Amino acid sequence: MDRNQLMKWIKAPTKMAHKYSLNAVYFCTGCGVIEVPPTITSRWDAERFGVVPTATARQANLFLITGYVSVKTLRAIIRTYEQMPEPKYTVGFGSCTINGGMYWDSYNTINQLDKYIPIDGYIAGCMPRPEAIFVAVTHLWTLIDKDMADGYKRYRKNYAAYRANQEMILGEMEWPPIFQTEVATAITEREG
Amino acid sequence: MTNPLGTRLDATFKGVELRSGVDGRLAVVVPREAIVPVLTFLKEDGYDYLQLISCVDWIDRGEFELVYLLSFYTEEVVGGDGGKQEVLLKATVPREQASAPTATSVFAIAEPHEREIHELYGIHFEGHPRLTPLFLDRNYEIPPFRKDFDTKQYVADVFDRVPPIDEEG
Repeated sequence: MDRNQLMKWIKAPTKMAHKYSLNAVYFCTGCGVIEVPPTITSRWDAERFGVVPTATARQANLFLITGYVSVKTLRAIIRTYEQMPEPKYTVGFGSCTINGGMYWDSYNTINQLDKYIPIDGYIAGCMPRPEAIFVAVTHLWTLIDKDMADGYKRYRKNYAAYRANQEMILGEMEWPPIFQTEVATAITEREG
Repeated sequence: MTNPLGTRLDATFKGVELRSGVDGRLAVVVPREAIVPVLTFLKEDGYDYLQLISCVDWIDRGEFELVYLLSFYTEEVVGGDGGKQEVLLKATVPREQASAPTATSVFAIAEPHEREIHELYGIHFEGHPRLTPLFLDRNYEIPPFRKDFDTKQYVADVFDRVPPIDEEG
């Protein structure tokens, strides 16, 4: 263990534990996912950073959205994101998640992902190299340390607005809202 | 006509127009009604592989062009006249009330190709067993691959209309 971090471990052990066990949900969207297999296997070995892929969303706490998001995929992304237990962190990978990238005028690709789910950080580029994932992970550690990776809290707080945006694109959604507004407010007040 | 297949097609069907092959392929232009008979003829002639069905929107001419690319599984493709060439079968259908006969009775693989063309270009395939959307999740007033579909306007109307989340509010 890094002795410099000892005080952090004593002060906030859960935060440190979350930092070093990022389980990424193995969810593939778009072309960016081609960078994920070399990242998690021996060539770049993401396990050095505590990042391991997880088969189901219910055991994951990191959501890498790797590339363009079509309307159909957006539905699956929202379902996956809502299934993940808190605390959960989302990283948009590649320029398509930021502003649509090269699909900015596509008939079927949403432009800004952060209108529909909260994003804690973006990796710019088309495609970003696997090294960029590690830069993002280390940056995410800093954000978790400073309590700035609060996407899931923002989702709770502004759930009504997020849900309204999702319904604008997806129309009638086949599952009910996961938070009632009062419940979300109560949780936010209790946990900050 | 040096190509033996071309000569036989010319003799068998009326209104068949042969064009010199691009990339060593034989281009055959047929009227809309002759699509299925010519496909059947070619299949019996050894063209057992329908590689793809494509569609081109010639908006100035007011018509769609369907392109069937035929090849074979068993024999080697030889380019140039006289050899075993791949065949490009082309047929035009009018843009208004666009419809074409289905090729599923000859090649079963035509089913997904025609579904895709149906949802992206809005061409109705008569006799197709399952003409439901293949990929798309939304309803479009104009099928999105038609030339008069304005993608920029569509993005402005649909995706850009969604407001950003006001985090402070």
